[in-house]
Amino acid sequence: MLPILIDGVVQGLQLSLLAVGITLIYGLGGVLNLAHGQLAIVGGVAAALLIGGGVNAVAACVLGVLGAGLLALVVDRSLLVPAYRAHGEERLLLGLVLTLGLSLLIDGYLNYQFPNTALTLRLPVPSVNLGGFRVRSASIGTSLIAILAFLVLLGFLRRTLVGKAVRSIIQNEVGAELCGIDATRTRTLIVVLSGMLAGLAGVAQGLFSSLGTEMGVEFTILGLIVAVVGGVRSINGTLVAGVLLGIVNAFASYYVGTYLAFIILLLAAMITILVRPSGLLAYWT
Amino acid sequence: MALVLALLPLATGGSAHYLRLLTLMLVHMAYAVAFNLIFGHTKQLFLCLGALAGASAYVSVVLARELHLSPWLTMPAGILVAGALGALFSYVSVRRGLGTIFVGIVTLAFSLIFQNVILGLRDLTNGETGIVTRDLGASVLQRAPSSYYAFLLLLVASLVLYDALMRSRLGVAFRALSDDELTAELAGIDVARCKVAAAGVGSALVGAVGALYAYFSGLINPSVYSLVAVDIAVLITLLLGGLGTRLGPVLGGAAFAIIEELVRPFGQLNVLVYGALLIVLFVAFRDGLVAVPGRAAAALLALRRAGG
Repeated sequence: MLPILIDGVVQGLQLSLLAVGITLIYGLGGVLNLAHGQLAIVGGVAAALLIGGGVNAVAACVLGVLGAGLLALVVDRSLLVPAYRAHGEERLLLGLVLTLGLSLLIDGYLNYQFPNTALTLRLPVPSVNLGGFRVRSASIGTSLIAILAFLVLLGFLRRTLVGKAVRSIIQNEVGAELCGIDATRTRTLIVVLSGMLAGLAGVAQGLFSSLGTEMGVEFTILGLIVAVVGGVRSINGTLVAGVLLGIVNAFASYYVGTYLAFIILLLAAMITILVRPSGLLAYWT
Repeated sequence: MALVLALLPLATGGSAHYLRLLTLMLVHMAYAVAFNLIFGHTKQLFLCLGALAGASAYVSVVLARELHLSPWLTMPAGILVAGALGALFSYVSVRRGLGTIFVGIVTLAFSLIFQNVILGLRDLTNGETGIVTRDLGASVLQRAPSSYYAFLLLLVASLVLYDALMRSRLGVAFRALSDDELTAELAGIDVARCKVAAAGVGSALVGAVGALYAYFSGLINPSVYSLVAVDIAVLITLLLGGLGTRLGPVLGGAAFAIIEELVRPFGQLNVLVYGALLIVLFVAFRDGLVAVPGRAAAALLALRRAGG
């Protein structure tokens, strides 16, 4: 039982890390980013290629994360401008379709450039003994990365002035602007941060499994589901939802097999969305 | 217009390749007519058209194969399943008051569920490999000109149904709620019922196209009904033609067939082209091809006035 639980928590942390970027952009910009998983892949693939090119592993991972952030910056300044100009349902719809287009752009390019390749970060990741269980050090590494990322993020939002500005915009954009907060600049900052978090999730994923260029869609959908189940505006909610769904998935995979487990995971998410769509609806109505 | 489409095969001069392209064009048109009801008129962003079409196709094919029934008997079952699923999604989301985004995500999750169910039920569906549908007894759909006319019949039937719907009380209600749902509700329109009806009928039509396509293509597997293969193509078709119009899906289908043929040489890059198209269309070309003559006329008029 315990190994499955640990496995679930590790997977769950990974899911939360993937989803938190979606939560941030949605909460702040009102755009549901359907290209988030593709950003993660871009980060992971960039890191893998750099390592393959002989760059120091840590530097390559950092560059991968920064690359995803840079791409997010470009997207924020170009593609998302029409969405930001609109309001309410129209902005939601525009954001949804524009990022769907972006996800196809990235997918199409990656599949064309690196067809049917599985890239790994090729780092030595031995298993270690932890309290009587064999645990892969990659699992510990990714979990630590996720926990650290969440701690930094929460600290940033709670303690710093910019973080407080971010939270005020999430609560009320007009009110925040009246208080002299530059919503556009704060939004750009958050989009870049979200892109870097996606890149980090991609790199972390690359530490213990291979990355296919076609995995972006799955990453996006998993991230979306976790974000929505967590209430999409709440970062704590995302963390909890990710870990819970990770545990559900781990147990289901163990008892009923992978395909059925994935279906159970998706059904669980669908039902949660239908029964408790709170976070979001309260905001938009 | 139906006449033009009916005579088109003659223009191909008997080329099997062009006739196949024309048939695929009809498939896009029929999907777009159905999606127009769901998204164009009642603003429900279903991202599971491929899954609905696939569900219908697999129900029909598996029943025909396992029970040795004629495909013509099992197709209605598939269509019914697709319609019921669509109506269910719509009913649940309307009841729970879900916005566009939630409908999108719930249906996206369903798309993924569908793909995994097909892969998981390997004994019935052959997983990734798929099922050969050639010898199941719907040979009309495989021979060259007859398959074209079968899809044409389906398209015309969908358009007639669409016209009848739009002329009925339901059509008036659609127009009212596409302007403002709250006002429509206040005016005594049962918005929930309208949306569920539109989604149910639209999904059943999607199912019909999916089922016919299963026998036309000769082989079905999960990737035939994937998000990119169906949903994205239909979304682009509808945007290209014009949302919420009668002619839009037809014009869009013709335009998309041409675009699809143009990007074919690019191989994998076609997905990239579709992404770019989706973005450009949604930002700059919202009214679609349908609005072009009107705009051109307005421009001409303005020009003449300026000249005179």
